[in-house]
Amino acid sequence: MSYKIPMGPYHPGLEEPYKLDMICEGETVKDAELNIGFNFRGIEHLAETRNYFQVIALMERVCGICSFIHTLTLCQSMEKLAGLEPPPRAKYIRVVMAELERLHSHVLWAGIASKLMGFKTMFMTCFALREKVMDVLQAISGNRVNYSMNCVGGVNRDVEDPLALVPLIDELEREMMRTVIPIFTTSSTARSRCAGIGILTHDKAISCAVVGPTARASGVPQDLRRDAPYAAYEEMQFEVPVEQAGDVRARLFVRALEIMESCRILRQALAKMPSGEISSAPEKLVFQSGTATSRVEAPRGEVLYSVSWKENSRNPARIHVRTPTYANMPAIRWMVRGARLADTPLIQASIDPCYSCTDR
Amino acid sequence: MIPLETIREKLGTAEPWVESRGTHWLNPGTKSVRELAAAMNAAGARFVTITAYELPGKEGFRLEYHWDLEGRLLGFPFQIAGNSIESIWDLCEAADWIEREVHEGFVIDFTGRAYEPLMLRPGDKPGVNLREAPAQDEPASGQQGQKEVAK
Repeated sequence: MSYKIPMGPYHPGLEEPYKLDMICEGETVKDAELNIGFNFRGIEHLAETRNYFQVIALMERVCGICSFIHTLTLCQSMEKLAGLEPPPRAKYIRVVMAELERLHSHVLWAGIASKLMGFKTMFMTCFALREKVMDVLQAISGNRVNYSMNCVGGVNRDVEDPLALVPLIDELEREMMRTVIPIFTTSSTARSRCAGIGILTHDKAISCAVVGPTARASGVPQDLRRDAPYAAYEEMQFEVPVEQAGDVRARLFVRALEIMESCRILRQALAKMPSGEISSAPEKLVFQSGTATSRVEAPRGEVLYSVSWKENSRNPARIHVRTPTYANMPAIRWMVRGARLADTPLIQASIDPCYSCTDR
Repeated sequence: MIPLETIREKLGTAEPWVESRGTHWLNPGTKSVRELAAAMNAAGARFVTITAYELPGKEGFRLEYHWDLEGRLLGFPFQIAGNSIESIWDLCEAADWIEREVHEGFVIDFTGRAYEPLMLRPGDKPGVNLREAPAQDEPASGQQGQKEVAK
C-alpha cells in the first residue's frame, strides 16, 4: 500500500519553506511532487519600480548567501546597456569577492550537510571556518552578508592591501585541508550516509539542464568561469572538478575540491591585482534601449539576468532572474525516487537549495 | 566547438546569427518553437530560460528562449500577437517551471500543458504584477495600477 508523506513547508533539514509530497511504499520513496512559492516576493515586478541605484540594492536581497553574485550579474548586464567596461582592478576585486562568497557558501553547505548526517561536531567546525571567511568579507566590504560592493562600472570599495589577505586565505586552506576535506572524503560516517544515495544520472542531469556542482557531480563538465569567462577569470588558472557518480557523495566531493580551487584563484587574484581605478562610471549614467543578458557562475551554479531598458528611463523596463536552484530543484524528484525516506532531507540538501532565490 | 552555422542550416532560416551584448541571436523566422527545441536538443544545447516581455499597446508579447551551447549563450526571439504559444515541455523537461512561471506572470498560454495548481502563487490568479493592466474589453486577468514608479 502506498501513502503520501508531506515534508515541509516547515522543513526538517533546512530553514526555508518548501514542500515535497512523497509517495512512499514502506520506507521507499516511489515518487515526489515539489511545491514552491511559499516565499514569493515579486522581486522582478518590484525591480521595474526602482531606479538604477535602488535596483542594485533590491537585487542584492534576492539571496542572502550569494548576494554579491546577484549584483555582479545585474551590474554586468547594466554595464552592457550603458556601454561601460569596468577597470581591471575592479574586475579582480569582483573575482576576490565572488570566490570568498563561494567559499562561505560551500562551507555553510558543508555544515548543514554534516548536521543532516548526524555529524554535529563537523557542523560546528564548518561554521567556525565560515566565520573566518566572513571576517575576510567584512574586512573588504564592511558587511557580513549584503556587501554593497558592486556598482555599475566597477566596485564601491577598494582592497587597500591585497597581499595582507593572503595569510588569511592560507590559514583557511590549511584548516580545510586539515579538517573538512579529509573528513568528508574519508570518514565512514560521511561515506555511509552519502555514497550511492540520491543519484542523478548523467542523462537526467542533461535533460533537467541542472547547473553548478549538481551538474558537475553527475559528470557534466560545465562552469561559466571557464566556458564563458567574466570579470578577470580569463587570467586565472584553475581546474573544474567533475565527478561521475551523481550521488550525494559526488556532490560533496565536487564542493570540497571547489573549496581548494577557490583558494587557488583567490591567491592568484590577490597577488596579481593591478593598480588603478575601481570604477569607470561617469557622474550620470545613460542606458541604451534594448536588452542585455549576463551570466555568472554562483556557488550553486549559473545565475542569469536579462535586463531590458528604455532610453532616458531611470528604471529598468524588465528584469528577469533565472537562479541556479530554480534549474536544480526539479531534479530532486528524480534523486529521491527509490531512496529511503530517512535519506530524503540530506538528498534535498545536497543540491544546496536556496528557496529565497527560487521564489524571488 | 559546434559551429553555430550548422544550427542555422538545420533550422533553415535565412537571417544570419547576430551577436549583441554577449548573446548570439537568431531570428527563427517561420520555424516554430517546437522545431527550435528539437534542433537544440539534437545539437546538445542546454536549455537556460525563457524571458517574457509585454509589448506596448495590444501588440502581444516577445518571448526570448535561451540555450547554452558550449559556453555560448544563444537567444531566439518569438513575437506572439495573441497570448498563446506551443509548449516545449514534452521536448525539453527543463522548460517546465519557467513555462509555468511565465504563464503566472503574463497569462501566456503554453498550449498542450496544464498549470494548476499555480506554482509561485497557489490560490492566486495569474497576470498580477508583471502584466500591464488589461484593456476594458479584455477579460480581467491582471490587476490595474500595479506599475507605480519610485520617485
